[in-house]
Amino acid sequence: MTVPEPAFALAPERKKAASATPPPRPAGRWKPWLAFGVIAVITAVTLSPQVGIAFSFDAIVRNWQNGAAKIVQLLQPDWSFFPRTIPPMLETLEMAVIATAVSTVIALPLSLWAARLTNPNWVGRGLVRVILNVVRAVPELLYAAILVAMVGVGALPGILALVLFNVGIIVKLVSEAIESNDAGPLEAGRAAGGTQAQINRAVALPDVWPSFVNQVLYVLELNVRSGTVLGLVGAGGIGLLIDAVRTYFRYDQLSVIILEVLVVVILLELVSSAIRKRLV
Amino acid sequence: MTQHTAEVGAVAPASAPWSIRMRDVSVRYPNGVVALKSISMDIEPGEMVSVVGLSGSGKSSLIRTINGLVPITSGQLTVGGHSLAEAKGRELRRLRGEVGMIFQGFNLAGRTSVLNNVLVGRLAHTPTWRTLLGLHTAADKQIAFDALERVGILAKAWDRASSLSGGQQQRVAIARALSQEPHLVLADEPVASLDPPTAHAVMRDLRRINTELGITVLTNLHLVDLAREYGTRLIGLRAGEVVYDGSVDDATDAVFEEIYGRSIRAEDVLDR
Amino acid sequence: MSAVAPPRPSRTRTRLVASVVCVVVVVAFWSVDINWARLGNLPSEIVRYLWLMFSAPDWSKLGEALYQTWRSVEMAWVGTVFGIIIATPLSFLAAKGFGPPPVQAALRGVFAVIRAVPEIIIAIIILSVTGLTPLTGALALAVGGIGTLGKWGFESIDGVPRGPIEAVRAAGGSTSQVLRWGVWPSASPEFLSFWLYRFEINVRASAVLGLIGVGGIGDMLTSYTQYRQWGVVGMLLIVVVIVTIALDAISGAIRRRITEGAPVHDLER
Ligand SMILES: Nc1ncnc2c1ncn2[C@@H]1O[C@H](COP(=O)(O)OP(=O)(O)OP(=O)(O)O)[C@@H](O)[C@H]1O
Ligand SMILES: [Mg+2]
Repeated sequence: MTVPEPAFALAPERKKAASATPPPRPAGRWKPWLAFGVIAVITAVTLSPQVGIAFSFDAIVRNWQNGAAKIVQLLQPDWSFFPRTIPPMLETLEMAVIATAVSTVIALPLSLWAARLTNPNWVGRGLVRVILNVVRAVPELLYAAILVAMVGVGALPGILALVLFNVGIIVKLVSEAIESNDAGPLEAGRAAGGTQAQINRAVALPDVWPSFVNQVLYVLELNVRSGTVLGLVGAGGIGLLIDAVRTYFRYDQLSVIILEVLVVVILLELVSSAIRKRLV
Repeated sequence: MTQHTAEVGAVAPASAPWSIRMRDVSVRYPNGVVALKSISMDIEPGEMVSVVGLSGSGKSSLIRTINGLVPITSGQLTVGGHSLAEAKGRELRRLRGEVGMIFQGFNLAGRTSVLNNVLVGRLAHTPTWRTLLGLHTAADKQIAFDALERVGILAKAWDRASSLSGGQQQRVAIARALSQEPHLVLADEPVASLDPPTAHAVMRDLRRINTELGITVLTNLHLVDLAREYGTRLIGLRAGEVVYDGSVDDATDAVFEEIYGRSIRAEDVLDR
Repeated sequence: MSAVAPPRPSRTRTRLVASVVCVVVVVAFWSVDINWARLGNLPSEIVRYLWLMFSAPDWSKLGEALYQTWRSVEMAWVGTVFGIIIATPLSFLAAKGFGPPPVQAALRGVFAVIRAVPEIIIAIIILSVTGLTPLTGALALAVGGIGTLGKWGFESIDGVPRGPIEAVRAAGGSTSQVLRWGVWPSASPEFLSFWLYRFEINVRASAVLGLIGVGGIGDMLTSYTQYRQWGVVGMLLIVVVIVTIALDAISGAIRRRITEGAPVHDLER
């Protein structure tokens, strides 16, 4: 009995060494699956014909003939249309530039107002932030639609809509940049006896300037891009033309406009990224 | 000393250096921390004082209180004959304008020029509209140039502040304080982020401000040897209370051990 | 002693840039076709309209407004899901070192082109096939999403540390295994947060798409603006603002949870 014992004892030990018992899996592995399930259910609901957007291949197949013709048209741009697109395109650019300039002037003081470091008064700060959060929640095209009804068609409502939207974005991003800056230099300004306005101008402004310029460039890009469609609601620019060619189903002319928008937007992006590289 | 003062001309203070008188000054932060406990002391015009103490002993609080950056909870504090407890708004800013302050972290606006940083020292003497438009008077600029020359970095006037070395940046900060044409300079650990040779150079600058311009200088230090070398008077703080106040010549190691509440270690001296 | 200032460095470049900017702005103001005289009574007009809209919002149409909001949000959701399904594999193909270089360059170009075209123009193209239905809106948002999600995606993959990727390669992993075990664990938090961010964008964009008649809250808003029923317009704006801010808050909270780390361990599986 004493002889087989060691052998008997060794065997299970070897077995153990060969297959380590894994530690218990961390709890919560079901969470991603739950998230996935929830997403799948919501998607199914939104796609359903009853409550959803009724995803059906039927309609697509039925429309396909019609659609294919349009696509073919789209691939054959009517270049003779090009000269007529230039004045409205210029108007879009003018609107973008004006809106950017105006919102720069408005947003600069407001950004300083909306940051804790540059405005210790929490009442004023909170007010600016709440108003701008509300303003930012509405897309510029909806503003444009309403403003056109208020002040009549033309570039003016477009510019106003862009300005509203731009101020919201610039102030949010720049005031965040101010908050992330060092408070020390501002304290030095206070210690030297400056007023808050003086400190903001002499110390805070130089430090946020690059990020401010950066956001202004970003907003200019956004303005050109969305300025091309403001005309769809009558707010000036090349969008007016888009609306016209779309009502007459002139997709060959539409493609000229799209190509032009593409070129302008991409050119502007290249220029502004070149400028950005020089900002430190 | 009179000879020196005559020689330096432009940056010389308009009037006499300031004294500091504290009577039972206590400072309590909103979170309940009592940083200064009933401190009384008199600093005479033209003195060069080192304040030492462990981290958290209240050195920064003391200096910030003297400049009105931290309000006094109780007691009386007069700086250059002006009572700080009563000063508010414009009056407080005017007082701060007469007191130069130097920080451990330099506190420069890194993305603008050295000159613009030095001109921050002129804020209290400039109407707000001028600052907003960025229009500095020629006289203010001359004051800034003179201050830069005094600390030996006039050639860097147009450089970006962030492109300078630590020691140079602290000199810009000193120039900023000097351009206030102050009656009193407060320095909060001005050399704590500098290497030893640079630290000595900056401390020498501060001493020159005291000896040549006659300005009262109060410097927070945590290093024993710097306090001994550059101060004439030593104030020891422990847990918000003054535990030593006397000449540096009498401040033996035993005195420092008393202030620190422990023996002197290698980390308490700069040149080891 | 009076210090002599060192010569000021030349500022011609700054001046040049400043004057170019000024000229561009002045030319824009000067050439734009606006009756500036109208600007004078603009403030009083705006106050008048704000009063018309918000002094007594017309809540009787709230039911329809909520229904249309739901349709817009649906469009945004479906557009986001489709966008993710298409853009994610494409962004892997467009990343450095995974797809063949020509494919990589072509995809990056496609993403840039899509990003340059506003969603509403994409919708106008798509509606020739699908008609004026919410599906058009959803597909336009999906296509638009390919542009942004694709770009953010490949940039994020390009930024993934190479160490884990090489480890999987060294262990003999195939490209898909490398993606699954070398790339996805590091990139997934960013991807999830891109997806949520794109959803936030789509919520706004879906409201805009209503303008061309694909339905949703934007459609309703333009109609009532044209009827000049300002009370209803005011109510609709309130609904848009509340819904957008609420969805932003939810999505922002999830994004913050993801980027701040705690649940990443769960989500990366
Ligand atoms: N703004 C503040 N609010 C609340 N408590 C503060 C504040 N500043 C300092 N304290 C507290 O006051 C006490 C004294 O701090 P103080 O900064 O004056 O010390 P110190 O001697 O300068 O220290 P160190 O050498 O670390 O700079 C500390 O307990 C600190 O936590
Ligand atoms: Mg301190």
